[in-house]
Amino acid sequence: MIRSHLLNMVVFSALVAVFFAFLTQQGTRDRLRVILILGGSMLVLSLVLAYVMYPFPLR
Amino acid sequence: MSEMLVEQTVPKARSGAASFVACTLAWLVPGLGHFYLGKKTRAAAFFLVVSAMFVLGIGSGGAASLIEERQPLTFLATFDNVAVGPFDLLGRYLTYGTIVYSLPGTEGDPRRAELLDRLRDRVRSVTYEYGNTFLLTAGLMNILLILDAFDIAAGRKD
Repeated sequence: MIRSHLLNMVVFSALVAVFFAFLTQQGTRDRLRVILILGGSMLVLSLVLAYVMYPFPLR
Repeated sequence: MSEMLVEQTVPKARSGAASFVACTLAWLVPGLGHFYLGKKTRAAAFFLVVSAMFVLGIGSGGAASLIEERQPLTFLATFDNVAVGPFDLLGRYLTYGTIVYSLPGTEGDPRRAELLDRLRDRVRSVTYEYGNTFLLTAGLMNILLILDAFDIAAGRKD
């Protein structure tokens, strides 16, 4: 369906962020804040982790 | 001196039967428990998110898990798949061509070979791991939704 690794990660992060925003917050403003913080954190931390792991060989 | 008044609403506790109905509906259709409890915006959001997770999971080549006695973790994975409700039936049908929950234990069983062949077809997909992640996350989300519906029905949360 989606073959791009990055796009899969973006879609996954967005869906998880929206889910937890609606689960934990009441107002639109608070939900948007959670979506931005949680979704952004997942994306940025994943990319940082991937960059840190890059020098390590697979085997 | 200014004083800020914060209005706090006390969540309303419902009967035990209502809690049971809310949890059952939440399992049957993601978000339906919240809809039943009057949280319509949340219900719509949850339905869209969990459905999208499930569709992306199946579309990306993910497979519903089968219980295999030699691998205890398959119990958890299958439980997680089942937690998404009747969507899981569709997932199993699309994965294996039938509704099946466990892998026959004997090696020579033709049924086992057929199921494994169907599973291998999906494993060959380059997005299989993503698909499985989406599917398992959809199940975990619905477990949280069932618990959340229970909390709302019990008056612990608004």
